[in-house]
Formats: sequence, C-alpha cells, structure tokens
Amino acid sequence: MSDMALKQEDVRGEPPVNLWRDAWYRLKQNRMALTSLVIILALAFIAVFGPWLTPYDFLSQDLIARNQPPTWAHPFGTDELGRDVLSRVIYGTRTAFIVAISVTAVATLIGIVLGALAGYFGGLFDRFVMWFTDMTMSVPQLLLVVVINASLKPPLARWMEAQYLETLNPIYRNSIIIDFVLVFGSMALITWPPYARLVRAQVLSVRNRPYVTAARALGLSTPVIIARYIVPNALGPLIVAVSAGLGTAMVLESAFSFLGIGVNPPMPSWGNMIADGLRVWRNYPHLLLAPAMMLALATVAFSFLGDGLNDALNPKGQK
Amino acid sequence: MAGEKPQEPLLNVRDLSIEVATRNGPARIVDGISLTVDKGETLGVVGESGCGKSLTMLSLLGLLPNKISVIGGSAIFKGRDLLAMPHRELRKVRGGEIGFVFQDPMTSLNPVVRIGQQVMEPLLYHRNMSRAEARKRAGELLKLVGIPGAEERLDNYPHELSGGMRQRVMIAIGLACDPALLIADEPTTALDVTIQAQIVDIVKELRAKLGMSIVWITHDLALIAGLVDRVVVLYAGTVVEDAPVDVLYENPAHPYTRGLLASIPRLKDEGAEKLSSIGGTPPEPGRRPAGCAFAPRCPIARAECERAAPALEPLKGGGPHRVACFAAGEIAEAVA
Ligand SMILES: Nc1ncnc2c1ncn2[C@@H]1O[C@H](COP(=O)(O)OP(=O)(O)OP(=O)(O)O)[C@@H](O)[C@H]1O
Ligand SMILES: [Mg+2]
Repeated sequence: MSDMALKQEDVRGEPPVNLWRDAWYRLKQNRMALTSLVIILALAFIAVFGPWLTPYDFLSQDLIARNQPPTWAHPFGTDELGRDVLSRVIYGTRTAFIVAISVTAVATLIGIVLGALAGYFGGLFDRFVMWFTDMTMSVPQLLLVVVINASLKPPLARWMEAQYLETLNPIYRNSIIIDFVLVFGSMALITWPPYARLVRAQVLSVRNRPYVTAARALGLSTPVIIARYIVPNALGPLIVAVSAGLGTAMVLESAFSFLGIGVNPPMPSWGNMIADGLRVWRNYPHLLLAPAMMLALATVAFSFLGDGLNDALNPKGQK
Repeated sequence: MAGEKPQEPLLNVRDLSIEVATRNGPARIVDGISLTVDKGETLGVVGESGCGKSLTMLSLLGLLPNKISVIGGSAIFKGRDLLAMPHRELRKVRGGEIGFVFQDPMTSLNPVVRIGQQVMEPLLYHRNMSRAEARKRAGELLKLVGIPGAEERLDNYPHELSGGMRQRVMIAIGLACDPALLIADEPTTALDVTIQAQIVDIVKELRAKLGMSIVWITHDLALIAGLVDRVVVLYAGTVVEDAPVDVLYENPAHPYTRGLLASIPRLKDEGAEKLSSIGGTPPEPGRRPAGCAFAPRCPIARAECERAAPALEPLKGGGPHRVACFAAGEIAEAVA
C-alpha cells in the first residue's frame, strides 16, 4: 500500500470524532469564543493578582474626594465614601471569581458523583437521585437561597460568636466567612441538578458505546475502562456546562449581593456596588457603570465561550 | 486446509443457549448452537441479521449486554470452559488468548486516545511489557497489518485514519498478544467493497504468518469464499448447516443455505443490491415456530417440518457435512 492509496481512502469524508485537539482547533476558528477566552483569562488574572494591582486599598476612604468622576488619580472615580472605584471593582472581580469557582466546583462535584452513580448503577438509586434532582429544580432558586439563608444564618452567626467568646480567635468574628460558607454553599446546593442530569445522561450513553465493549473484549479492568474510556468521552458536554455555569454563578452572586443576601459590605461585590450605584445613578452614573460593565463583560464572555466550546466539542451539533 | 484433524478442537461449543429477558418473559435468542474450531482453522459463520451470530461470540467472552444471558451449554477452549470460568481468568483470555475484531471501526476505537496507546493497552496488561517495549511492538504490529508509515501513525488519533486503516488497527489490537483464536464480527461490513477485499487479504497473510484460528462472521458468502475452511450457517439461533467451504458452495443441502447462495449477485458490479431470493423475514426471538424455524419461509416445507425441529445430522455417507433438514438427502441428490 502506498501513501497515495491511504490518502484516497481518506477522501471519503468521515465525520471527525470528538477530540480535544480537534476541539481546540475548532475553538481557535471561532473569534467570539477566542476573544471571550482572552477576556476571561484577563479577568482571572485581575482576580488572582488583585491585591497587587489595586492602586488603593478598597476600604481606604478619602472623605475629601467623594463621588469624584473619573480622573487620572482615580480612573473609575470614587464612591460616596471617597473609596477608589477601580480598586473596588478589582476586588469585586476577585469576589466574583471566588464565588463562581467555588460554587461551580461544589455543584459540579455533587453532580458528577450523583449523576455518575445513578447512570452506572441505575435502578432504584437512579430513580431516587432523579427524583431528588427534579424536586430541587422545581423550587425557585431565589426562594430556596432566601430560605436557607434566613433559617441558617442566625444560628450559624450565634455559633460563631460563641466560638469567638470561647477561643477569642478573631477568625470567628469574620462575617465574610459566614457569607461565603452559607450563601454560596446554598447556591451550590441549588445549582447542582443540571450537572447531575448531564453526567448521568453521558454515562448512560458512553457506557454502551462500541469502544467500551471493545475495551472489555481486550480484558482491560473496570477502573482502566472508566478512567480512560468512559470519563474522557463523557467530559465534553460537562466542560461546556461548567463554562456556562461559571457565568451563571457570577450573575447569581451579583443578584444575591444586590438584594443584600449575598456578599455584605464592606466586602466589594459587583452586585452590592450596583445596588449602591443604582441609588445615585442620576448624579454619579460612573458608580453604576463600572461594576455593571464588569458583570456584563464577564457573563457575556462566559456565555460566548460556552457556545464556542459547545460547537467545538460537538461538531455534529453544528448545522 | 485439509489434513489430519487434531483430536481436540481449539474451541468446542456445545448446546449453547442464550435468552433475553423481555416484558413477556424470557425469549430464546440462541437455541442450542454447537460448533467447533480446530487449531489453525478458519471458520465462517453466516446468517441473516438477527440470527444470533454476534451474541454467540460475545457470550464466549462474557460480554453479553444487560438482560441477555447464557442459560446452558459449554464452550471448551484449550481444555477450559469459558462459560464457567471465574471473571478474573476470563479477563486474561479476553485479548490475551482470544482476540476480537468488531464490525464498525468508526466507533470501536476510543476517539480520545492515540492509536499507539490503544494497541499498547493489551500488551501492557496481558504481557506486562514496559511502555517502551510495548510501543516498539505496537509499531511492528501496525506494520504487520499493512499500515503505511506505521511508526508515525502511533501518534495519530482514530479520526485521522480512514475506515479501512482503522479496521487494520483493530486487527492489530486483536492480534497484539498472539491469540490462538481471532474472532472477527463482520469486520468488513462497514467498509467499501474494494477495501473489504484488502482486509480479507491482509487477514489471509497474517494467518499464514501467525497460524491462529479464525472465526469470521459475515453476511457475505462470496467475500469469504477464498478465506475460510469451513462454514457454519445459522438461522434463528440454530445451526442449520455445517460443511467445508467448497462442499457448501457446490452442494448446499439446506434450503436456507441455497437461498443465501442464490442471493449472491453473479455480476459483482458495485451498487447492485443484494437480491434476496428468500421471501419473508426470520422470526423474532420468542416467536419462533415449534417445528423447523425456517419452515414458514421454506419453498419445500412439508407437514412434518411444522411438527418437529430437525436435528443437525451428518449427510448420508457421513463425513464433515452436517445439515438440519428433513429433506436434506433429497436436495443433495437433486443437486448432485
Ligand atoms: N441488547 C439487546 N437487547 C435485546 N435484544 C437483543 C440485544 N442485542 C441483540 N438482541 C437480539 O438478539 C438477536 C440476535 O442478535 P445478534 O446481534 O447476535 O444478531 P446478529 O446475527 O449478529 O445480526 P447482525 O448480522 O445484524 O449483526 C436479535 O434478534 C436481536 O434482536
Ligand atoms: Mg452482529
């Protein structure tokens, strides 16, 4: 057989199969997705290195320079307490990323474990998990978070106070911990169901693919088959969902902070900055614009990246 | 490949029965199949879609899908019963002593793992080779199955190869550990006609080099004429005829076999649909008639065919030609 013959055979135009390398190639073709990826990486950089990037401390007030429009000294202006808005927006980015990543990580983990077990074992366990999933999805998210928040926050706060009095460890006085653990724990608890459904469906479909039977016919062990044949092939749609989920989690965080049940002042969050800015936007529009634009930028970027990944990882889904 | 028969066949399947659990209770898919494969022999297994060819072979390696199970019989391979073997031991047989090549090379390779790694996998597991050794051997195997630029292909992903090349990779994987038996389940059905012939040729070549036994499942009697030594014809989960290949072609004794042979187009022009000279379709599992399963479609069926199923018996004069038909003797005479 010559190389020529091989090429001729290749002309038969077989559909390409899911593949990371292929996916990356297709993603690179997609300008929107690529731009979004760059934006997200830039935002992530800001989030990680925020403390070294901010020109001012996000808490330091300058009561002489209140509500200033953008200047060279304060590129995004100052707020009503004379705090540097750029610094606060940067810290807000940090908050958004911490929340989005931790919420999505916990939700994905719950989803993977429950979904994979349900898909793998099937039967009664599967039915229970799916019932639990449907039930969680049927309750309005906001309501669930408010309920969890309202019922768990006071006892947790009391417990923290008691711990503080006992140990005098200042960590127990840190209300930010309560915010993060409670509010964002509850956010994770309401966002896992789609991941569980997705993982279950993927496991069910991949489990019966011919290459899994072929791998069994080679005598490979179950752990090897799961790790090298099932998981990598089931991962694509999950990556898409996680990318979109990160954006959703940021919106959710901002929404809750906006309503005062998320991150509380003085900790900056785009949500609570938007809430503050909204009260005075007629006079000081920059106080609203800065955080709102950041939120819009991040969520649009995540959503386009998710779309791009979806196209890249499911070539058959394209028109 | 005539010659002295070894006393003990390499694989001896006796009275294998397989059932599927359905809503209306169990349905028999495979009903008492017996067949043997001698050392170095190539056995063709033919029959219409749904007659149980794949499940018979999958059951030997414990690979039956959910709800389908072996309910009786034995499969002695190298002196051990595959059907009664503990899972641990069976896993060593899989890929180690029996290689399996599946129908669709497009979906039978893992799309996210490089070709080389997939060829190496059985070597790493069954032969405990180091990665370097296994990689070297994988390159040799790809060369053996006639893949151009074998060494470079190791780092390709399956989708970078054409269907024919992928099926060669599957064959390389199946043969990686020098198995005594290679089971190929319609390995060419998914390929272009010209490439089908290439695959048959490469397998012939490999058989000459390696001397393994082969079970080749197919619909296509014409394709395997020059490849197999003996043919077993299945119909609705039973063996209806078992004969050396030249005998079967010249002197088919079962009306079903004759129908299959008649449906081979004389002119092998591409695009010609396979003519089916047998009217009707095979019965669904669980709906098979009490007598001969082929009776409803049989041109020469008579009253006794509907009462009892004929046993698989040597044709008059003994010998290796066995048929399950009440009218077998008469047909054979008429043709001869
Ligand atoms: N997973 C399954 N569940 C239920 N029934 C099945 C399943 N797989 C196969 N069957 C049934 O078992 C019978 C035999 O199937 P098998 O795959 O062995 O046929 P085959 O002879 O290999 O056909 P083909 O030539 O189409 O590959 C068929 O009638 C089919 O309907
Ligand atoms: Mg089959």
